[in-house]
Amino acid sequence: MMRLAVIFCALAMLAGGAAAELVVVTNRSAGVERLSRDEVINIFLGRLQLLPSGIAAQPVDLPATQPERSTFYRLLVSKDLAEINAYRAHLMFSGRIVLPKEAAGAEDMLSLVAGTPGGIGYLERAKINDRVKVVFEFSP
Amino acid sequence: MASEKPAWRQSILYLVAIAAVGSALLAGMIFIGITASVTNERVEQQTTTHLGELLDTVESTLSIACFVQDQVLATEVARGLLKNSVVLGVAIRGSSGELVRLYRDDASHKVDTVKGRLVRKIRSPFNAAETVGEIVLDPDPESFARVVKQEVSFIGILLWLQLAIVIGAIVIVMLRLIVRPIKAMSDRLHRMNAALGDRLSIPGGYGGTEIGRLAMDVNALADQLVASLDDEHKLRLQLEMDEKKYRAIFDNAETGIFITDHAGRIESHNRALSRQLEFSASANASPDGEGALIGELAWCEPGRLGELIISCVDDHVTRNGDFEYVCADGASRWLNIVLSPIGGGRAQGVVSDITGHKLAEDAARRQAVTDPLTGVANRPGLEQRLLSAIRQCDGNPDDGFALMLVDLDGFKKINDGLGLPIGDLILKTAAERLRACVKGSDAVARMSGDEFAILLPRVTEEALAANIGERIVRSLGQVYEVHTTPIMLGASVGITLYPGDAKDTPTLLRHVELALDRAKVSGGNHFTFFDPAMAEAAERRRELESDMHIALRRQEFSLFYQPLVDLSSNRLVGAEALIRWRHPTRGLVPPDAFIPLAEETGFIVDLGFWVLEAACRQLAIWQGEGKEFYLSINISGRQIPDGMSPAWLAATCRKHGVEASRLVLEITEGVLLADANKALDWLGEVRTFGFGIYLDDFGTGYSSLSYLKRFPVDTVKIDKSFVRDMGGDKSDRALVEAIIAMARSLRLQTVAEGVEDATQLALLREMGCDRVQGYYFSKPVPCEQFDAVCQHIQGLLA
Repeated sequence: MMRLAVIFCALAMLAGGAAAELVVVTNRSAGVERLSRDEVINIFLGRLQLLPSGIAAQPVDLPATQPERSTFYRLLVSKDLAEINAYRAHLMFSGRIVLPKEAAGAEDMLSLVAGTPGGIGYLERAKINDRVKVVFEFSP
Repeated sequence: MASEKPAWRQSILYLVAIAAVGSALLAGMIFIGITASVTNERVEQQTTTHLGELLDTVESTLSIACFVQDQVLATEVARGLLKNSVVLGVAIRGSSGELVRLYRDDASHKVDTVKGRLVRKIRSPFNAAETVGEIVLDPDPESFARVVKQEVSFIGILLWLQLAIVIGAIVIVMLRLIVRPIKAMSDRLHRMNAALGDRLSIPGGYGGTEIGRLAMDVNALADQLVASLDDEHKLRLQLEMDEKKYRAIFDNAETGIFITDHAGRIESHNRALSRQLEFSASANASPDGEGALIGELAWCEPGRLGELIISCVDDHVTRNGDFEYVCADGASRWLNIVLSPIGGGRAQGVVSDITGHKLAEDAARRQAVTDPLTGVANRPGLEQRLLSAIRQCDGNPDDGFALMLVDLDGFKKINDGLGLPIGDLILKTAAERLRACVKGSDAVARMSGDEFAILLPRVTEEALAANIGERIVRSLGQVYEVHTTPIMLGASVGITLYPGDAKDTPTLLRHVELALDRAKVSGGNHFTFFDPAMAEAAERRRELESDMHIALRRQEFSLFYQPLVDLSSNRLVGAEALIRWRHPTRGLVPPDAFIPLAEETGFIVDLGFWVLEAACRQLAIWQGEGKEFYLSINISGRQIPDGMSPAWLAATCRKHGVEASRLVLEITEGVLLADANKALDWLGEVRTFGFGIYLDDFGTGYSSLSYLKRFPVDTVKIDKSFVRDMGGDKSDRALVEAIIAMARSLRLQTVAEGVEDATQLALLREMGCDRVQGYYFSKPVPCEQFDAVCQHIQGLLA
């Protein structure tokens, strides 16, 4: 069953990748040009509180209802949202970790990233604008 | 030591139980040891597994805590782990340092003993390849040991239980199968009387087992024992019967039998011995004699008996000896004891009374040394006494004895004249007189014929011996009254002294004989002491005698011839043959020096043959030369009648072809005196052969005229002593004249010898003597000079 599920997911990813390419963006003044995949994971999963430039990072999530959020985490760490939520529940227990803010939508995402110095979020490439900077691309 | 232990500690059951418990303990301990070590390992493994599983449950949370370096979360996880009793402490490290380290409060003293520490790397939740931290989990050693202890004690209890059951089973089986039947058999054996036929019954169901076989073996043994006892009983009965029989033989034997030990203690004896040794009468022995020391009984030589016993026992050799025993009444008894070793340092003695034998033996021995006629000792008896006397004197230079030899002078004549019975009576009387002359301790012995010997112990001085000798001569010289006929006899005594004269019996006897000979030769009726000169003389005679024998072989003898002249025809008619001895060292030995010895020893017989031969040879020569001489030879008394038999004379003459009438035999009066009858026969026979007989030395001896009548002689030879003195002594001249006249009247011819000068010749011619010989004509000459002498005589007579 697990194996079937993985195959299915992979198919879905390919389909998603094909449908909409997700990119990670930061505030223009975040002082970061590129981020590695590990840096992205560490920032979004609470390991790093600072961007490489030394500015406190503020990750922003899309609402759980948006498929991009699920796609993002799948592409990033190959986990579904439930797993990510369970993970974050542990972190919430200690309360020390800054959890990502939740944007209301793509627009809100852009605003939050652009509006916070260390803001970092993810969007479909098509939906980004100049206010943000692409620092990571999920290579096809 | 074993006997000091209580009985139950020796029982098989106890021993088996001890062995079983011991081996069970050992096995249990080894088993528990192994179990403990295995359990230890297993529990350690289990603990590790358990801890691993524990970690698995918190791994995801841990990985998150490490991933985000969250100390709170890590502490929470560590606390959760510590709640597990097995966990002693937890340490969690993130990628940048230790997040948390938590230990139990009481862990500080245990940390060092921790075993099986679990260390696990923590992976990132998002990347399995990335290590984000590490957790160290220390198990609690006490809890670990507790588990092990629990397990081991549980297994131990099980084991002990098992062993107890097994031992119990063994003990019960032993008790039922072995101990009880053995005990039953043992009890039965205690009560069993095998002789009455009781036997062991085999316990039920044990027929084929070792117990059953043991019971059967015991029964078989009992059968054997009973059989052997029966046999032995029979044997003992037989032995008792035998013993009774032998005891009866032993007790009733007429011979004394005893058994003695090494020391001579009588251990056992029979009745005969009691009788023989008079135990009831002996003060030294108990009434039955048992335990008495045999050496303390009344033996004359107890020491010798003791030695005999010791030598018998020590050498294991049968010994015997004769012993004198003094009875209570003082009589002595001779007992022969034969001792045989019987082992165990003891000897068996067999005692026979040989008193009768001994007395007979003594009598025989006495008889052997006694002269039956006179009752005095005989020659062997004297020799014994001599030997013992010499032994007694041995080692004592002052001691000695005298030995005398006594001879009755003229006894032979008495014997011949009056007969043997008279002679015996005289000998008896002489023996009695001799005994009377000496002390009881002195020994008188008859040596032979009329010769007695007397041994006088402790007579060492010549004066004393002379005294006794004198006494003997006097005593024996007294008149003997035989059948009222008085007979007179002299006695000669030779005396020798020990140790002065000689040291041994044969020499003593020879010396005393020499002394006696001297006494007799010097007239008799007196005593003479031995003188070494006698021995020397005897030695010289002995040498001479041996030389004579050698001389005959070496032809040292030769004949000399003294011419005989016939006065009527004035011619030389013959010669007297005279023997001469040319000794290689002594020179010419005169006949006087050896003829008497030759006569004494009998050598004269051999010499006579030689003379006869030589004379006949010479006659044959003369006969061959045409000379009609005759020869006279001297015949000694010893040669008549057998030494020179008439037949031999005739045969020798015949051998040489000499006529008997040419040979003249000169004999002396002594020949006729000795044994007249034999001499007469001899003379008669000789004359019938034709030999002439001259009676030599006429006038010097008895010169009984009756002899001239009785004996057929044809010529009388007038002794030269008369002829020599004829010139000066008228009586001699008358004597010669008378002899010649008498001879003529008896128709006998006369020959005068020793004519030394012409006066004598003229006188003899005047008296009518037929023939003469003497130095006037010639001394005796060897044959080679005889012819010259013949010429000389012819000249004298012409």
